[in-house]
Amino acid sequence: MSAAPDSPAPPATLRPADRLRLAAPQAVVPLGAVLVALAVGAVVMLAAGVDPVRGYDAMVRGALGVSSIDFSVAAFTAILAMSLAFAVPARMGEYNLGGDGQLCVGGIAAAVVALHLPLPAPLLLPACLLAAVVAGALLAALSAPLTTRARVPVIISTLLLSTPAVALTSYLVRFPLADRGSGVPQTPRFPDAAHLPALPGTQYTNLGLLLVLLVLVAVVVVDGRTPLGFELRAVGANRRFAAYGGVSVPGLTLGALASAGAVAGLAGAVVVMTQPFRFVDGALTAPGYTFAGIAAALLAGGRPALLPLTAALFTVLQVGSTGMERDIDLPRQLGQVLQAVVILVLALRTVALTATARRARRRAPERS
Amino acid sequence: MLSSVLTLSFVAAVLTSTAPVALAALGGALCGRAGVFNIALEGQVLWACFAAVVVAAWTGSVWLGVLAAVVTTTLLASVLAVGSVRWHADPIIVAVGVNLLALGLTGFLLRSLLGASGTYAPPGLPGLPDLALLRGVPVLGPLLSGQSVLVPVALLLPLAAAWWLARTPAGLRLRGVGDHPAAAASLGVPVTRYQQATVHVAGALCGLAGAQLALGNVTAFTENMTAGRGWVAVAAVMLAVNRPVGVLLACLLFGAAEAWGFRLQGIGLPQQLTDAAPYLVTLVVLVVVRARRSSRQGAPA
Amino acid sequence: MSGRPAAVALRGVTKRFGAVLAVDDVDLEVEAGAVHAVVGENGAGKSTLMSMLYGLHRPDSGTVLRGGREVELTSPLDAIGHGLGMVHQHFKLFEPLTVAENVVYRAEPVRRGVLDRRAAVRRVEELSARFGLAVDPDARVGSLPLGVRQRVEILKALHREAQVLVLDEPTAVLTPGEVDSLFAVLRSMADAGTAVVIVTHKVQEVLALSDRVTVLRDGRVSGRYETAATDAAELVRAMIGRGLAPTANPRDGVRGAEVLTVRDLRLGASASGPGLRDVCLTVAAGEVVGVAGVSGNGQRELVETLVGLRRQDAGTVVLRGSALDGLDVRRRRERGVAYVPEDRPGTGSAATLTVAHNLALGHHRRAPLARRGWLSPRAVRSAAADAVRRLRIRTAGVDAPLASLSGGNAQKVVMARELLHDADLLVVEQPTQGVDVGAGEEIHRLLLERRAAGGAVLLVSYEISELQALSDRVLVMRDGAVTAELAAADASEDALGRAMSA
Repeated sequence: MSAAPDSPAPPATLRPADRLRLAAPQAVVPLGAVLVALAVGAVVMLAAGVDPVRGYDAMVRGALGVSSIDFSVAAFTAILAMSLAFAVPARMGEYNLGGDGQLCVGGIAAAVVALHLPLPAPLLLPACLLAAVVAGALLAALSAPLTTRARVPVIISTLLLSTPAVALTSYLVRFPLADRGSGVPQTPRFPDAAHLPALPGTQYTNLGLLLVLLVLVAVVVVDGRTPLGFELRAVGANRRFAAYGGVSVPGLTLGALASAGAVAGLAGAVVVMTQPFRFVDGALTAPGYTFAGIAAALLAGGRPALLPLTAALFTVLQVGSTGMERDIDLPRQLGQVLQAVVILVLALRTVALTATARRARRRAPERS
Repeated sequence: MLSSVLTLSFVAAVLTSTAPVALAALGGALCGRAGVFNIALEGQVLWACFAAVVVAAWTGSVWLGVLAAVVTTTLLASVLAVGSVRWHADPIIVAVGVNLLALGLTGFLLRSLLGASGTYAPPGLPGLPDLALLRGVPVLGPLLSGQSVLVPVALLLPLAAAWWLARTPAGLRLRGVGDHPAAAASLGVPVTRYQQATVHVAGALCGLAGAQLALGNVTAFTENMTAGRGWVAVAAVMLAVNRPVGVLLACLLFGAAEAWGFRLQGIGLPQQLTDAAPYLVTLVVLVVVRARRSSRQGAPA
Repeated sequence: MSGRPAAVALRGVTKRFGAVLAVDDVDLEVEAGAVHAVVGENGAGKSTLMSMLYGLHRPDSGTVLRGGREVELTSPLDAIGHGLGMVHQHFKLFEPLTVAENVVYRAEPVRRGVLDRRAAVRRVEELSARFGLAVDPDARVGSLPLGVRQRVEILKALHREAQVLVLDEPTAVLTPGEVDSLFAVLRSMADAGTAVVIVTHKVQEVLALSDRVTVLRDGRVSGRYETAATDAAELVRAMIGRGLAPTANPRDGVRGAEVLTVRDLRLGASASGPGLRDVCLTVAAGEVVGVAGVSGNGQRELVETLVGLRRQDAGTVVLRGSALDGLDVRRRRERGVAYVPEDRPGTGSAATLTVAHNLALGHHRRAPLARRGWLSPRAVRSAAADAVRRLRIRTAGVDAPLASLSGGNAQKVVMARELLHDADLLVVEQPTQGVDVGAGEEIHRLLLERRAAGGAVLLVSYEISELQALSDRVLVMRDGAVTAELAAADASEDALGRAMSA
């Protein structure tokens, strides 16, 4: 019962060739971006005196080798969550760059509950997760009234809130929550009841992965199948149009940012509630989950269902470059460089699109 | 506590903290005036810090370090200039890419090229010369004699830029380009060229900012040493609505918060807390000013 | 005609956009010291013709002559260089800059490399004194009313020594009083030897101001006249190819129950407009109520308050007996308020969304598009296909982005979305702005159908002829207040003009 056939097929204004040209970049550009990044990586390796084949081999083994795959899945969990934290507000045209802060407050909230709330064992785990989700959501939600009332762009406020939030958690683990015995700035080990149960045969892969996958499914469904998802896209396409059509832009902004912060907070909890079951200062920010997630979200474009794929790719880059550093002494920051190249190539995708649009406009009559 | 705020040495510390942010923010303000949203300041300043330290260390010449920072950061700005101005790519995503590229590349090169991890401060790394000749001059002496020569530059350039915008044909044209590009183009002003040139100038200013931060405020390169200063600069630009002198004032506010933070650290407050203060102060002021401004304009419900 | 060559002339110019022949073998001669009117309906090719005269488009064939010599105009800069000046319908001014800065922009007086601001101010004062264009050189353009901004545009051209001045629809944004003073200025410029071209579709203005007229229809010249030797009827025939059809509005609808009641609506003035001052009005079922007035006299505020985009300071809005006050846009739409905004590309649609999604917004939370909280993509598409068919929207399909549609068809998408759900109240702003004659007639027909079906329509328009053709009653707004109400029969151009400027 498709609707198209019963319309009397009015004369097409979009020729098949145009439609192809509009569609082509959607598939070609992301692949191209990855290939360009890999090529840049090869050049950098050559410049550093490393055979790129050996380099990429070390990277893939570092991420997907038998000994590392378990840890890679844990990193994938965090990166996938952070890609959702960026992708949800991005759907309505807002950029959440404050992922680090939201991760950290999530992690610290989970730590406080795990260490200081005397709850019976079966309640402790959900309480930790809930606290993390709420903390992340609150921090991110702060940016909503800032943009809808004070017109401070989300991209600025999330970042400016992130730095102090990270600093605050760093203070907390160094002083009030510190594990006095160790020389490392970290909290004591959480009680067993606050450990996320690992999947059979693994150490790092645990319930967190399932939770994040659940969130992913929810996002995909809401995005494609509900009025809410439609409204997000309408705001992203044209804010004034959406408001005119009855969408409450302030409410939606609050909801989108709170959800983003909630996922990021969840990711923070998942990381600290996995081996070694502590909040270690820097352990949430140093691996660069936030930016890997942003890169994955940009690569997936407006298709949330693709996020697991792109998040997996950046997990390989991220974890693999740590392995590369270990095996062949090539700094792991190469992973960040490659992410940046992917983002830059993707940004230039618009060039192809605007060129197409310009051609289309030129054909249209301009009479008035 | 209050008396310490008023001492000249405190004001001197404020100026030190202000200088790098003010240089970067001036670049951002000029871009704003030209109608380009430049939030790649953070990455550009970070890159400039790295270039300045590496070249100064290799050549032993602080001025070659400054030159390298300015030249290479201007080149880095081309990514934004070409990508978002000429090719109309999303300036925000390009900037996110540039910022991440700078972070990754400096970290990568720090280890692979310099074999350092975390911090690079080889013995003999020259710092920017201070204004020793002002020693003994009343007021100016205590304020500036301990400062690098780039500090007065950072304080005076915004004034010069304000004059240039208001009083020269090119400045007038730039203002028009930012306000209504189509109108400027219809009168024959090459809009894209003006915007690209401005982005490059902002790159050069970020180059100076990085040189001051890494060879003036400290003498070292540390991974991610900008630590959000580029974003504070962006906030200052918004706060002052692209007016150079206003940007300088906004940056002085940040500088004061940072310098006060150092003071509080001196009396035992944890560094993590005092580090956070300038960002919160900046954000709070930004929110208050913007909120009042938009309520004055009578925003629709 | 004198023996001197024309100040500017177009010879056999043709311009084609894709399959559309916008301008077809047109000749136009404009003499120095005269006012030449170019008239035609929307879409007749006037704007394209003027764009070629100003270097914005290049003719596919034909030539442009300036003072008898062939010139090549590849950009507005070329046109300026050849002494041509243009005042666009939408002004190209820098609002934060002063009048003097706007006037001298890119042609600045310079002393020792520095902008000579005093010379710029003197230049403005001198030019405005010479042509009677009163304006404060130091005022910020953004703070000036539209009539004064137009003077700034004219000063820009004068500063660049324009000998030919082209004005595109110059009276669209002016009050009747401002129109008179504009005409006086243009007359004095022509008397001083300038060639003045006005592009318009208003026959009365042609008769009041011009010396000669060229009429365009469907991209071709359909008539050339000495103004003194022609009349309105002849010009209209040349413009539309027939005499004016008797108005198609039967006005036989029975005024039904009151649908919309607005009482004492008040809104504070802001930088963008005068606000609202105790506005009262009613619209009944089966009635079209027109709102006349010069743009910017509170019409926008009234409309946005009715639909829920703004909140009033005082007063009440009642729809079919229940108050809408405090309800947001969504709730008002649910109660039966539909709205076609003036800014259809910017507010009424989203270019990057598909036709189906553009048609769905505002209805996306209700059956048939959504059921039990789930949005059905299939229902969205089939409802869209239905709308496309009923309004004969030309599109490659409901999944094509709106940007791929022509301007007229994109407008029909907006109209379709607001018409097809049979809301009790339809608020329409400028329904035929920017569409060609055929589409305009169709839109008028749709509005009258809506009325015949018992709908209540509030029509805001700046076109007096449109208000006359459609309305049962016309309200006049001035300075945020309703200052007059006229029955359709009494709403003559004179009467409305008087009320708008009173």
